[in-house]
Amino acid sequence: MALELDRVSFAYGGAPVLREASLRVRQGEFVAVVGSNGSGKTTLMKLGLGLLTPSAGRARLFGDDIRSFRAWHKVGYVPQRATNASALPVSVDEVVRSGLAARAHWLGRQRPEERQRIEHVVDLLDLSAYRRSPMAELSGGQQQRALIARALVTAPRLLVMDEPTTGVDAEARQILRASLEHLVDVEGMAVVYVSHDPEGFSGLAQRVVEVVDGRAGAHDDKEPFRHRVAARS
Amino acid sequence: MQRAFVACIVIAAVAPLVGSFIVQRGQSLVGDGMGHVAFAGVGLAFLVGADPVLGALAFTVLAGLFLVRMGRAGLAGDLAIALIFYGGIAVGYLFASRANAGQTRLVGLLFGSPLNLTWSQVWVIVALAAAVVVVTVVLYPRLVALAFDEQAARVAGVPTDRLVMALTLMVALVVVGGMSSIGLLLISAMMVVPVAAAAQLASSYRSTLWIGSGVGASSAVLGLLASHYRDYAPASAIVLVAIVWYLVASGWRAATRRASRRAAAAGLGV
Repeated sequence: MALELDRVSFAYGGAPVLREASLRVRQGEFVAVVGSNGSGKTTLMKLGLGLLTPSAGRARLFGDDIRSFRAWHKVGYVPQRATNASALPVSVDEVVRSGLAARAHWLGRQRPEERQRIEHVVDLLDLSAYRRSPMAELSGGQQQRALIARALVTAPRLLVMDEPTTGVDAEARQILRASLEHLVDVEGMAVVYVSHDPEGFSGLAQRVVEVVDGRAGAHDDKEPFRHRVAARS
Repeated sequence: MQRAFVACIVIAAVAPLVGSFIVQRGQSLVGDGMGHVAFAGVGLAFLVGADPVLGALAFTVLAGLFLVRMGRAGLAGDLAIALIFYGGIAVGYLFASRANAGQTRLVGLLFGSPLNLTWSQVWVIVALAAAVVVVTVVLYPRLVALAFDEQAARVAGVPTDRLVMALTLMVALVVVGGMSSIGLLLISAMMVVPVAAAAQLASSYRSTLWIGSGVGASSAVLGLLASHYRDYAPASAIVLVAIVWYLVASGWRAATRRASRRAAAAGLGV
């Protein structure tokens, strides 16, 4: 199991957001997590990634309790893109390379396999022409692809993306879809795709989980989404 | 004058290195706050007859660690931070006045007095700056990841909590290093203004650091020359030169953007 959330609860201040929500994502599986704004789907993912601590329940990554999990190179995370631009100029290359920071050589020297992986993800996401460009000069879709490339440079086994198509144009959505297909079908990566918009994962997701009233597990294959989303068998 | 040049160039070149990370993290005023807290340490040092550098260092490091802990606990709201920072300057002046520290000495620490530095003070500044450079070089990839996106860095396995502490300590070292030369109230400007100027000209984060460092160092040189030939207050002159750099860089950027828009429009036959 790549990701396992077992009856997790969480409250912001006194306001409960999740109540005994459960989610399991197998290795190589593409799962879409949907729900209306404020339903708790982002919170659910943050619990799964150890960015928040559940008040009850357990989170596991690749079988290890999140508190003792250390193999972070197996996990890629694409947070919801901030609407405010970076305060300082940042090139695409720097953003992508920052994904390798945890294992970086102390003088910043790159290993050959790291260089290869950077080349691979940059090609995969069609960013080669923009590597030296400042992020601020790119379109929303290109910026989003750079953030996805950053999450992929460690060759993770699980990729978690939060609203990846927000503010992204149609062409960028196509490139993103093609990249995701490659990651799941060729690289065998597990993908968790958090979105309120089913268009981005329609035809890609093997399973759709809806977060309603702070619960996720009980709403697998929620009826309305079965009609709207063409899930893969 | 030689001592002033060495101290001011070194600290003004190093301050933007740290400044780039705090500006990118949206914490441009943290250096200013640390300067306020450092003043409490200086005041206490005067009161007990200790070295003001040690007092400032102890207070800024403690305040930095305390603020990081408060932030992690979700308690570092605007008001709490303001209370600590303004409390710092109030306590500092209270202690200093009890110790009869003397207005000239206090004004020198708040607004810098590089012309009065001794060589031993200069070497302390150089050592503090060198420590900041070493930490920046060693932690650079991780600090960059932290500055770009703390949550993504954390999921990537970067020890963000420890890095935030390291960055806070680096701010403390710059504040203390700049205390006697550029002043507790002005040193934070040298962490932010050269970076803001560099951001107008650079196309990457690394180039922002280099250009920012160059802007800082050249501001120190020009500011001290202005102070020497025109009798301006040296630290104020240094900061004002940095602000002029920022205005020039902003003007340059606006002009080049206008020119490239015109060229693009001409290319389209508009």
